[in-house]
Amino acid sequence: MFPRLFLVIGFLLATLTQPLAGSSLTVFAAASMREAMERIGQVYEVETGNSVIFSFAGTGILARQVEAGAPADLFISADDAWMNYVIERDAVVPGTVRLIASNELVLIGAKGTERLDLSETRITGALDGGRMAIADTETVPAGRYGKAALESLGLWKAVSARLAPMENVRIALASVARGDTPLGLVYRTDAAIEPEVAVVAELPAESYPEIRYLAALTEGRPDPAAEAFLDFLSGQEAREILQSLGFVTDKVE
Amino acid sequence: MDFFNLQPDEWQALTLTLRVAAAALLVTLPLAILVAYILARYRFPGHGFVNALVHLPLVLPPVVTGYVLLLTFGRKGPVGVFLDNLFGISFAFNWTGAALAASVMSFPLIVRPIRLSFEAVDPKLEDAARSLGAHRFVGFLTVTLPLALPGILGGAILGFAKAMGEFGATITFVSNIPGETRTLALALYTATQTPSGDLAAFRLTLIAVVVAFAALIASELLARRLQTRLGGGNA
Repeated sequence: MFPRLFLVIGFLLATLTQPLAGSSLTVFAAASMREAMERIGQVYEVETGNSVIFSFAGTGILARQVEAGAPADLFISADDAWMNYVIERDAVVPGTVRLIASNELVLIGAKGTERLDLSETRITGALDGGRMAIADTETVPAGRYGKAALESLGLWKAVSARLAPMENVRIALASVARGDTPLGLVYRTDAAIEPEVAVVAELPAESYPEIRYLAALTEGRPDPAAEAFLDFLSGQEAREILQSLGFVTDKVE
Repeated sequence: MDFFNLQPDEWQALTLTLRVAAAALLVTLPLAILVAYILARYRFPGHGFVNALVHLPLVLPPVVTGYVLLLTFGRKGPVGVFLDNLFGISFAFNWTGAALAASVMSFPLIVRPIRLSFEAVDPKLEDAARSLGAHRFVGFLTVTLPLALPGILGGAILGFAKAMGEFGATITFVSNIPGETRTLALALYTATQTPSGDLAAFRLTLIAVVVAFAALIASELLARRLQTRLGGGNA
């Protein structure tokens, strides 16, 4: 009756079974790694001719997707908890987990905000009725590190009711840049890439657990290209790119 | 039976969701009736534009709607600054912001069935009321509005349901603050991202299903009563 209609429907159905990404390497990486990974990916593509596709989100979202069998070849977590989560569920290959970078936490304000000391009065004064942008303190690594820091600095009680938890650390960064929140708690590397914000205080390194970016191969997708990219991530060139963006790489394995 | 006792944060999410949806509906419904009536009864330059504008949130990705709300009603947005200076009203990171997002998202769903039922009411009935001496507005209230009640009820139910489940615009506009903007949908989303959050997610899913069922049954009963009254009691 409608041969053309059937042809179109048939074609659409046929394309449904084709993965859009084709044969290139797919990497699921923590949102705070965006610029670093994109640059490393570009260098890698130029050198090897293999293309790399990235999906960036809060680590927790990615971990759930990897657990559910998402077509990722590599998973890069911003903390140990989520990496352990996927290891326990046999979603990544435990032997391939390696540290690729470390990071630090800073308190930021809009460009031009003066520096603060980390006291309750100064912070509530700077908030001035507004909220402190932070990645979600229960689910997202940057927020969990931030909560730990606020707790050990004795600020949690005063600040916890004034937080604006976001889906990932980059949304918290954008919120401060836009002026929707007077202060924000983000990684040092995030603050460095956003010209509209200024660091108002560094959080002491001993106030939160060590921030570790861990990369691992996912289970059930044996691919030499994925292994090669994992090696590349901890190699000299990647290390230099990470350092240039403010990541700490002196403990990289 | 510990499993059936709601935790404080679950209660909080549930009552907040109901409050947001109710507030959204209260504000939106009268406006939706007005807009639906204008769209149904009057032809004017820009009719198509108003119609498109009303339907925009239905077609746009919810995140876009949330982002536009953030840019206009946020702490630094033009409307946000204006309202804050003049009335001290702030939508940013506030439950009222969640209600605003829910209102905007549910508006087209409320307007549509109401407009259809207005269009189905013969304008001659209104003319007749007026020729008998009733004021235009009285004619509307006593003739058109009651006849359009099924559509209004349908729109209200759709809008309430949409407001209860709204997610994308809400999280983009007012983030995910426990007790302030973390509605059921957002609480569920948070639970699914927490390591070992499966049980919490499952419980929240159950709550959402129970609430949805209760709302649907209540609306069905209401619709039936309405039908009986409109049909003169013979239904």
